[in-house]
Amino acid sequence: MDKSHIRNFSIIAHIDHGKSTLADRILEQTHAVSSREAKAQLLDSMDLERERGITIKLNTASLKYIYNNEEYTLNLIDTPGHVDFSYEVSRSLASCEGALLLVDASQGIEAQTLANLYLALDNNLTIIPVINKIDLPSADIPKVKKELMDLIGFDEDEIILTSAKTGEGIKELLDRIVEKIPEPKGDNNLPLQALIFDSIFDSYRGVVISVRVFNGTLKLHDTIKMMETKAEYEVIDLYVNTPKEVKKESLTSGEVGFISASIKSLGDVKVGDTITLANNPAKSPLPGYKAMKSMVFCGLFPIESSRFEDLREALSKLQLNDASLVFEPETSTALGFGFRCGFLGLLHMDIIKERVTREFGIELITTAPSVVYEAVLTNGDIILVDAPNKMPDKTLLKEIREPYIRTSIFTPSEYIGPIMELCQNKRGNYISISYIDPTRVNIHYELPLSEIVYDFFDKLKSFTKGYASFDYEMIGYKASDLVKMDILLNGEVIDALSVIVHKDFAYTRGRSVVESLRKSIPRQLFEVPIQASLGNHVIARETIKALRKDVLAKCYGGDITRKRKLLEKQKEGKKRMKQVGSVELPQEAFMSVLSMDGE
Amino acid sequence: MPSSVYIHIPFCKSICSYCDFCKMFYYKPFVDKYLLALNKEIKEKYIGNIIKTLYIGGGSPSSLSIDELKQLFEILRTIKISRDCEITIEVNINDIEEEKLKLFHKFGVNRVSIGIETVNQKFFSFLNRYNKKDEIIKKIGLVKKYFNNINIDMMYAFPSETLDELKNDLDFVTKLEPSHISIYSLIIEEHTKLFIDKTLPLDEEEEEKMYYYIIKYLSEKGYNHYEISNFSLDGKESQHNLVYWNNLPYYGFGLGASGYIDDFRYSNTKSLNKYIDGKYIKDSEIVSKKIMMENEMMLGLRKTKGVNKKEFYKKYSLNLLDTFDIMDLINKKLLIDDKDNIYIPSNRLYVSNSIIVNFIGGCLK
Repeated sequence: MDKSHIRNFSIIAHIDHGKSTLADRILEQTHAVSSREAKAQLLDSMDLERERGITIKLNTASLKYIYNNEEYTLNLIDTPGHVDFSYEVSRSLASCEGALLLVDASQGIEAQTLANLYLALDNNLTIIPVINKIDLPSADIPKVKKELMDLIGFDEDEIILTSAKTGEGIKELLDRIVEKIPEPKGDNNLPLQALIFDSIFDSYRGVVISVRVFNGTLKLHDTIKMMETKAEYEVIDLYVNTPKEVKKESLTSGEVGFISASIKSLGDVKVGDTITLANNPAKSPLPGYKAMKSMVFCGLFPIESSRFEDLREALSKLQLNDASLVFEPETSTALGFGFRCGFLGLLHMDIIKERVTREFGIELITTAPSVVYEAVLTNGDIILVDAPNKMPDKTLLKEIREPYIRTSIFTPSEYIGPIMELCQNKRGNYISISYIDPTRVNIHYELPLSEIVYDFFDKLKSFTKGYASFDYEMIGYKASDLVKMDILLNGEVIDALSVIVHKDFAYTRGRSVVESLRKSIPRQLFEVPIQASLGNHVIARETIKALRKDVLAKCYGGDITRKRKLLEKQKEGKKRMKQVGSVELPQEAFMSVLSMDGE
Repeated sequence: MPSSVYIHIPFCKSICSYCDFCKMFYYKPFVDKYLLALNKEIKEKYIGNIIKTLYIGGGSPSSLSIDELKQLFEILRTIKISRDCEITIEVNINDIEEEKLKLFHKFGVNRVSIGIETVNQKFFSFLNRYNKKDEIIKKIGLVKKYFNNINIDMMYAFPSETLDELKNDLDFVTKLEPSHISIYSLIIEEHTKLFIDKTLPLDEEEEEKMYYYIIKYLSEKGYNHYEISNFSLDGKESQHNLVYWNNLPYYGFGLGASGYIDDFRYSNTKSLNKYIDGKYIKDSEIVSKKIMMENEMMLGLRKTKGVNKKEFYKKYSLNLLDTFDIMDLINKKLLIDDKDNIYIPSNRLYVSNSIIVNFIGGCLK
């Protein structure tokens, strides 16, 4: 295909700023789909994506657009909007020559938008700034224009105004894409170099890979080789999405498309890897490959112990679709057999938990999320600790290091006070505050990652009535004065409730954890003492009083079916609890250990 | 085949604030139509087998006039009654008059169940029940002229009730020397006045104390505690209610009544119009053997004696201990396994749901 008539681009936007609606409108204007077909938000195909209004997995569409009587192919490469998936974003951006920076006309620029914009600039992409939702009564176009000009340095006439809802400005935008975004570079005669920027598992085809060809030509039945994983496969199928599937005989440099090659294992396909030909390999891979690293870990245990193997199967299936999910078997004395799972971030963790329950019908207990600590031993060895109960004995420890992040919190300036207090309570070190304009600021703190894995984001939202947006980057490990705090129920240490805390905060945390456990664990047939301890030293104690009344006083002929239904309901509630020793624990109990305030 | 019959008479002269039974104000034209429909229902369902317990409940069957009662008993003549049949009728204390008692006696009633609930004035308007002590004494005296098997229904755990107040009620009721006492904690059920008024229940610790106080008090007066809320003198247990708790079959006739015939459980409509139109049954289900065995435990464990292992085997050809995994409950002393029976120990009766719930869906066979 003639490269001069290809434009590869993606859309950078904050959640809710209308990316999916804009994508739908573009599809409509290029006649890829009729408006009747355009089920709301076409590119978000998973149920969960549509429900949460976010894009988790990538989708790509190849569209035909006539400009000056010439046909152009516009490849829209969709990107996930969440910080957890920033590596995937960076790979999709690497597949493009341009990006639309989409900003909501009433909200202005948000933390995440900026982070992804920097990623795009790192990849030398041509940026087209777009102010969307100009139809909203609350739109403040001059203000957002000024933000774009001041903050990023655009000229006013570069900025396009659209309403994805009404369709206003879309044609102008499409014209601008053809005019401004450079044609892809590359040479069809060089050995093949195609960047993997996404992959999905299809139950009929196996792994389907999304690629952008940089150099060379890829044809049907070629034997391809992944340069990082060394895996080789024969190409069975080549196609593009328009978004209807259209078969191709070949993909040449500059093109974007899908490869299916009967690949059974997603482990062979790594986002960021380069595909070349087995019989004529490229000398070197495309730059930028990084192995994905899990940031947050937690234990997943089936409530019914007998479903351990089902859970393994569920996680394996999810992994086919999501190579960034890692898991290994874990045994807990309290919870039995389960898996220690690693996630890119908290959203990723939530999504996996929800999919296991929803798609595989397995009720789960999840332990409190934990980060990976570095334990430096007295002999100088460093071991990675991804669960509190894997922490080596105190006597063997020289120091413990924990991962730190640097925040960007975009907020109206009136919330500076509460946000700083929140960060301070989360052991944050203040770095700086910069003013975006007189009413909005960007707050930078250094925070231990462990402090944001639980309720930081929720608290931030509630302290700022939802106005703040939050993004972070990892800045490495720092030594901290950390200790393992154990929780005892009925005098027994429950390993799944252990948590690593900062020594100075241990007493407060201990008190608030036992208090919140007392509230979340329902009364049982026996009195249950709850204790928090550091080593053998008990630092906090509460008691759950024994249940006093749980009886159907009256049960006669007419009541039997009705009363049975009551008991069946009670049984359902019981099923969602995990029997740990003699105590039945609800899911909330496992999250209580992260409680900061015993509310 | 069921050898028990329940007859429901939904009419009342006044409505108590806590009542969630199928009931309505007494209204003569409705009563007439109702009795006709009842007659039809019985003729349709009853197949002529001998009946050993008959229970006429409500509502207040005693709210019917003499003529209506005569008509009711005429209808009930269809039912073949064994010589030793226990025949109970529920009576509102305010409806008691000698002529009605005579009529009951003539028909063959041999057990009268009387609702008193409390004699504590503090709760009269709260419950919408007004029972003066001297009036009660007089009326019970009258009942005793014709009947020696008398149950009295009492209640406890009213909001703000004290242990002393409860003791006063117990003193009063035991002085009447009934042969049977049913005593229920106040339950604030949906669709009752108390629920609508957002009544708060008594603290559960306080209520539990009262419950164990009642057991101690009545035991000392010679009453056997044989079911969670039921006490009787020797040999005076309610045979009819034991049918329910022993998971045995029974016919249910009348508005809102339920029945259990072979493996068929049904509940009648609570709509008077539908009932009069002959559309008696509203819900029904076929009970599987699994559910039957679970119900056996759910109901049987309400009795202080629990479930008899031999009886269980006779009924289901399975050993109880192989049918349910209850070793853990036994080890924790939440269930007692003696030579003959499996039962809930007295000190755990007030949390019996937490124990019984293990049987729901817990059948291994």
